[in-house]
Amino acid sequence: MSQENDTKTFRYPLRWRIMDALEAALDVLWPRRLSPYSGWALIMPALLLVGILVLGLFQIAESSLHVLDRSTFMPAEEYTLANYEMVADSATYWRVLWRSLLGAGLTVFFTLLLALPYSYIMVRTPSAAVRKALLVALFLPFFIGQVVRAYGILIVLGTSGAVNDVLGLFGVEPVRLLFNFPAVVFGLVQYMLPFAVLMLAPALTAIPRETETAASSLGANWVRTFWHVVIPMAKPGLVGAGLVVGTLSLTDFAMPAMLGGGSQDFIANAIYDQFFRTADQGLGAALALLLVALGSILVGIVIAVFGAGTLGMGGKK
Amino acid sequence: MNQSPSAGTMQAMRGEPPKVAVRVRDVTMDFGGGALAVDRASFDLETGRFLTILGPSGSGKTTLLRMIAGFQKPTSGAITINGRAVDATPPHRRSVGMVFQRLALFPHMTAAENVAFPLKMRRFNPKTIPGRVREFLDLVKLGDYGDRRINELSGGQQQRVAIARALVFEPELLLLDEPLAALDRKLREEMQLEFRRIQHELGVTTINVTHDQREALVVSDDIIVMDGGKIQQHAQPVDLYRRPDNPFVAGFLGVSTFVDGEATSDGLRAGGLTLRGTHATDISEGAPARGAIRAEQIRIDADPQALAGCDTAVPGKIHDVIFEGERLLYVAALDGLPGVEFRIYHHDPDAFDLYDIGAPVMIGWNARDMKIFKSVA
Repeated sequence: MSQENDTKTFRYPLRWRIMDALEAALDVLWPRRLSPYSGWALIMPALLLVGILVLGLFQIAESSLHVLDRSTFMPAEEYTLANYEMVADSATYWRVLWRSLLGAGLTVFFTLLLALPYSYIMVRTPSAAVRKALLVALFLPFFIGQVVRAYGILIVLGTSGAVNDVLGLFGVEPVRLLFNFPAVVFGLVQYMLPFAVLMLAPALTAIPRETETAASSLGANWVRTFWHVVIPMAKPGLVGAGLVVGTLSLTDFAMPAMLGGGSQDFIANAIYDQFFRTADQGLGAALALLLVALGSILVGIVIAVFGAGTLGMGGKK
Repeated sequence: MNQSPSAGTMQAMRGEPPKVAVRVRDVTMDFGGGALAVDRASFDLETGRFLTILGPSGSGKTTLLRMIAGFQKPTSGAITINGRAVDATPPHRRSVGMVFQRLALFPHMTAAENVAFPLKMRRFNPKTIPGRVREFLDLVKLGDYGDRRINELSGGQQQRVAIARALVFEPELLLLDEPLAALDRKLREEMQLEFRRIQHELGVTTINVTHDQREALVVSDDIIVMDGGKIQQHAQPVDLYRRPDNPFVAGFLGVSTFVDGEATSDGLRAGGLTLRGTHATDISEGAPARGAIRAEQIRIDADPQALAGCDTAVPGKIHDVIFEGERLLYVAALDGLPGVEFRIYHHDPDAFDLYDIGAPVMIGWNARDMKIFKSVA
C-alpha cells in the first residue's frame, strides 16, 4: 500500500478543506464555551433589522399625533387625534381604502386562478422542455422590474397600442383601456403571478402523484380529482400564496400610480402624497399606521382561520 | 392448501358470472430504450380467484398491473375484464379497485370520507352511502374509527382503510400494488392473512403484485412468476414450488443451490462427481446443464450410514454455520466441487451445533429433488 495509491483512490475534497479552515477560524473567533449562545448570535442581525423597523414604527406613531400647522408648515407641538378623525370623516379616504381592499382581493382571486393551472402543469408535465419553458417565462418578468413592466403595459394597452391596433383590424374604434380600476388589477395580477406560481409549485410537488392516480381508479375524472383532491391538498400553498399576493397588492404603489393615471389611488399613493406633495407628515403617518393595522388584521384572520401550519410552519393540524 | 376459492357472495348476487374474469392476451409494453417492460404476457384469471404476480423489481409486474388498471396503455395486445375489452376505457370508467403501494389515502379526509369517496364519484344513491361505508369499515374491523383523520391511524389501520376504499364500490376486480412492502414483518404477515380473509369473504377476483415469495405462497390461489418482462411460469403455489419450469423460478422461490455441469441420463456430472437428479426439461446426455436443489431437501450427517437412503451421498466440508432462530443454515462444499457452496437447512432440534466450521460431513439428497435444467448460457 503506497501513499501515492491512496491519494489516487480518494482525494480529500476541496469543499471539506474550506470547511476545515472556516471551522478553525471560527474556533478562534467564537470559542466553544460560547456555543450555547450560538443560536442567539445567529439570529441577532435579523432581530436588529426588525428592531429598527419597530423603532421607525414608533416614530411614525408619534408623528401621527401632531397636525400640520398651516402657518409654519411644521408639525404642531400638541398631541391630538385630529389626523385620525380627518381620515375617518373623509369620504375620499374611505373610497381609497375600499379600492385598495377590493383591488387586493380581486388580484388574489385572479392570480390564484391563473397560477394554479400554471404551476400544476409546470410540476406535472412529463416533458422537461415544457417545464423549462414555463420556468423561463416565469422568471423573465422578474428581471424587468415593476416600473418598466407597468410602462410596457402602458404601451401595449394605450390608445394607439398593440391591442387597439388589433381591435382596429376588426373595425372597432380605439377603446380607452388604461387609467381605470380594471387596468390596475390587470397590472397587479400580471406582476403577482410569478410569486404565486413559485409559492404554489412546492405545495403541488408535495402531493404524491399516486394520490391522483388513486382518485381516478376510484371513479373521479380529472375535474373532480382536481376539485376534491388537488385543491384541498394544495391548501397550504394556496393560503400562503394568497397572503403574499394580498399584502403586496394592498400596499402596492407603482401599478395604481402608473396604470391608474392618478384616478385610482391605493393607500400607498395617498401616503406618498401626504409625505412628499403636501408635506403633511402627521396625516401620512396616520394613514401608514392604518395600512399596517389593516394588513396585520387580515393576516391575523387568515392565520386564525387556516392555522399557522398552512404557511408550512407546522403548528396546528 | 389454498386451492379452493369460495364462490363469492357478490358474484352470486349478480347471477351467473363469466368464468374468466380477466383475460390478458399478448400484452406488450415498450417504453423505448431496448428491452420491453412487458413482453407478450398472456394469462387467464378465473372469477373469484386470488392471483399473485411475483417477480424482482424491474420484472414488469407493476407495469402489467397498471395496464390492467388502465393507467398505462399497452403498446400491443388486448385486455378484457368480464368479457369486455377495456383498451379504450379510462381508469375511472373501469370497475377496478386498487390498493396502492404507498396507499395514496386522502390526508384531508377522515377514514369514513375516504371510504365514501368512490361511492360519491361513482354516483351511488346518497341515501345508501352511510350504511355502505359503515358495512365496509366493519369488514376491515375499523367500525369505530370512521371519524379519525388518516394521520391519526396506525400503519395497519391505514392499510385497512385503503382496502375498504378499494372494495366499497364492489369492483369486478381488486388490484394490490405491493401495499404491504413498507410494513414490518409481523404486521405484514398479519395483513396477508387479512387480505385472504376479506378476499374469501367477498369472493372478489384479485390480482396482487409482490416481490415477496413468502407472501405469494401464503395468499395466492395462482402465481405468475415474471422476470425480464416475460412470464416465466404460471401455476398454483404448490406446483410452482415443487415443479419449477426453469432455474429462475427455482432460485426465486425458496433457497436453492445451483450446480453447473453436463447432463447424464440420471443426473449431472460436475467436477468429476456424478450427482443424481431428475430432468426438469427435455435435455440430451452430455449437454451443458444446471442442477438446482433446495436447502431443505439436502441432508447432512457425519455418519455415512445415516445417509444410506439417499440417492446421492458425497463427502464435503462445512464452510459456515448460520443460526436463523427456527433452524440452522449450513454452508458446505462437496470435496470434488469446492467452488459450489451448498446451502442446507437443518431443523432437527436435538442436533443444533452439531458440526463446526471445517468439519468433514456427508452431504446427500434424493434424485427427485435435484432438478436438472438445460443451461441457457
